[in-house]
Amino acid sequence: MKKVIVLLAIFIVLAFTVVAFAQTMVTNPDWWKKAAEPYKGVTIKGISESTPPSRAMMEVAGPQFEELTGIKVEFEVTSWDEMYNKTIQDMQTGSGIYDFVYVEQDIIYAYLAQNWLTNLTPFVGNTAITNPDFDLPDFTSFIENFKDSKGDLYAVPFEAFLKSYVYRTDLFGDPEIQAAYKAKYNKDLAVPTTWEDYTNIAQFFTEYGKEKGIELYGHIAQAKTHPCVAYEMCETIWPAWGIYNWGINLEKMRASKANGGTLDSDQAKAAFKWYVDMLKWAPPGVKTYTWDETAATFGAGKIAQGLIYLENLGWWSDPAKSEVAGKIGVALPPVVPQAMEDAKSGKGYIGYYDGGALGIPHSSKNKEAAWLFAQWVARKEWQGEFAKLGTRVVRKSTFDDPIVKDLDPKMGNYFTFLKDEGPLFRGAPPLPMHRPLNELYLKWVAKAVAGEVSPEDALDNLAKEVDALMEELGY
Amino acid sequence: MKGNRKQVWGLLAPTLILIIFIGVIPVIYILYLSVFKYNVFSKIGMVYTGFNNFRKLMFDPDFLKSLRLGLSYVILCVAIELPLGLAFANLLTYEYKGKGIFRTIMTLPLAMAPISIGAIWVLMTNPDFGPLAVYLRNVGIDFNIGNNGTQAYIATILMDVWHWTPFVTLTFMAGLSSLPRQPFEAALVDGANKSQTLRYITLPLLKPILLTTLFIRVMDTFRVFDEVWMLTSGGPGTATRYVSIHVVRQVLQSMNYGYSSAMSLFLLYLTIVICWLLLTFINVSQESG
Repeated sequence: MKKVIVLLAIFIVLAFTVVAFAQTMVTNPDWWKKAAEPYKGVTIKGISESTPPSRAMMEVAGPQFEELTGIKVEFEVTSWDEMYNKTIQDMQTGSGIYDFVYVEQDIIYAYLAQNWLTNLTPFVGNTAITNPDFDLPDFTSFIENFKDSKGDLYAVPFEAFLKSYVYRTDLFGDPEIQAAYKAKYNKDLAVPTTWEDYTNIAQFFTEYGKEKGIELYGHIAQAKTHPCVAYEMCETIWPAWGIYNWGINLEKMRASKANGGTLDSDQAKAAFKWYVDMLKWAPPGVKTYTWDETAATFGAGKIAQGLIYLENLGWWSDPAKSEVAGKIGVALPPVVPQAMEDAKSGKGYIGYYDGGALGIPHSSKNKEAAWLFAQWVARKEWQGEFAKLGTRVVRKSTFDDPIVKDLDPKMGNYFTFLKDEGPLFRGAPPLPMHRPLNELYLKWVAKAVAGEVSPEDALDNLAKEVDALMEELGY
Repeated sequence: MKGNRKQVWGLLAPTLILIIFIGVIPVIYILYLSVFKYNVFSKIGMVYTGFNNFRKLMFDPDFLKSLRLGLSYVILCVAIELPLGLAFANLLTYEYKGKGIFRTIMTLPLAMAPISIGAIWVLMTNPDFGPLAVYLRNVGIDFNIGNNGTQAYIATILMDVWHWTPFVTLTFMAGLSSLPRQPFEAALVDGANKSQTLRYITLPLLKPILLTTLFIRVMDTFRVFDEVWMLTSGGPGTATRYVSIHVVRQVLQSMNYGYSSAMSLFLLYLTIVICWLLLTFINVSQESG
């Protein structure tokens, strides 16, 4: 009898959990079923980069959507390069393979210039296929990146995160380490606000690791000959040194000082020289690291501080996956004084506000079904859970979600940081020729990192070549 | 006879159609693109420039460097793989204990996809924990392919040798097993030692196989991509940016379709010339043989 009661109790608890879960996942299932009725049995195909939010969409949102609506979702999650190659080829040739694609913030201007994306504003106004709870004003200002000059929407954000300073709170709070640092630099060990302090801390921890015979380094970078090394300079290092928009004058569309740009300025050269010099305080393999290895090395507990994409906080905070769970602090990056002033006045920014959205290619054959899926991913009731799975927030209301509030302290108060300090960061500048530009930046940044040319010469050449490319492309 | 001809064309048709679609039409399209200045992200669109893209090629230091690197990579890889493959093939003609295991292990890399080979070498050469880097560091050699361009270049050559020497070995083994026995018996009777037999009997008889293998390996190595892309992505800097990698970056990253079409055509031309030279050499050697 006792056994039966226990089993019954377990059953009741499970049943309530399932109902509660289902209620959390979708508040108005009938609307979804009715809206999807004309597209039942249709298969929509999408592609995205293999990031935690994309995997959450593929593994959680996709199957749930399919079950409720009867619209089949085929979701391809692949590497960054592969995602771009496939997406661009599909949209350029108009083959219509994909019904929804990952539109990263920095590529949107290129896609808009080519008319490759479907204008979603007419969809938003269509009540038959737009969820009454979609609530466009609830999206954070990040959604503005996905609108054209007329204010029309071209993609629905699903991920947004910062690249900022992270550090190990356990190391920074260790009395022995604090004393050793103070003895060496006559200064307290604290989160650096200047590049000089950052450099000292980097040197200190790398030497400390060597002395103690442990694998610990004071700096990390994504310095492989890969597009990531160019992005690191353009998005993270230069803005914090007061060089914005990739050193390009956006009015004149030129990069050299002679033509109004700042790419070959003394400040840009000083920042680049600092970046190259600092690699000596990073792990020996740093020049083989992309963004993936950078995050993995921090998660393995080998790094004391660094400037890293904070979408990784989710898995860093999981003790089963990371060595640094519960030991992470998040802060603003060190900056030159001018950069902070510019960021506060809106003239500049201090770092990168990255993220992506789901867009519908002009060639998609199932636009309405894809629009429903984009809304499904962005529905309010799932945003807390989605933030837990992908460390991302795209709606203002998500900051008040109990799941997010519970997670916040475990992630070094990152969500509060994102809400409060987010406006100091910015996405990539509106450069429709973003991809060929990145290749050019990669060429010269990688040459300097490899020691083939000096950082100064690299920037002189790069500025000249950027100007030539702009002219060639008709800008 | 007429009916027979129809049947022949009927049987050939599927292959011909396939070749037209995947071979002829793309080449014609590339020919067309190569005379335009055409970048997908250009505001101007396609601009006819005649042969300007080909002229630009001859003065493009990045392209010329990648071409030099690509050719030196081909020469070094083939120069190592052929003698090594011949030595292994020779070794496998003898009977000894463990020969089967040796042959199996040796041919394993051949069964793997180039991208997997690249991934294996990424792990082996990782400067932080890769066995190759760690062992070499233990004997006093600082092996870091991210930091040292020469080491990265050597690593890509070693990777190709590791991957493709088994192919050369198998080809030579097939060649060795088909050689007539009489010349070897005659050499034995005449008192020729092993090196004399190799020099005056084996190598001349193997010449057609040797040249065919050389032909295949030169073509394959010249268009190497997956493995090197995986291991170094052409870096550090431009140390391993072989011509095939350079072209792919121009197409997929720079989206410079016109110029990269000209590059592709030039490489096709170069490949045809190299093939023609090797083929002529094979024919002449067979005639003189």
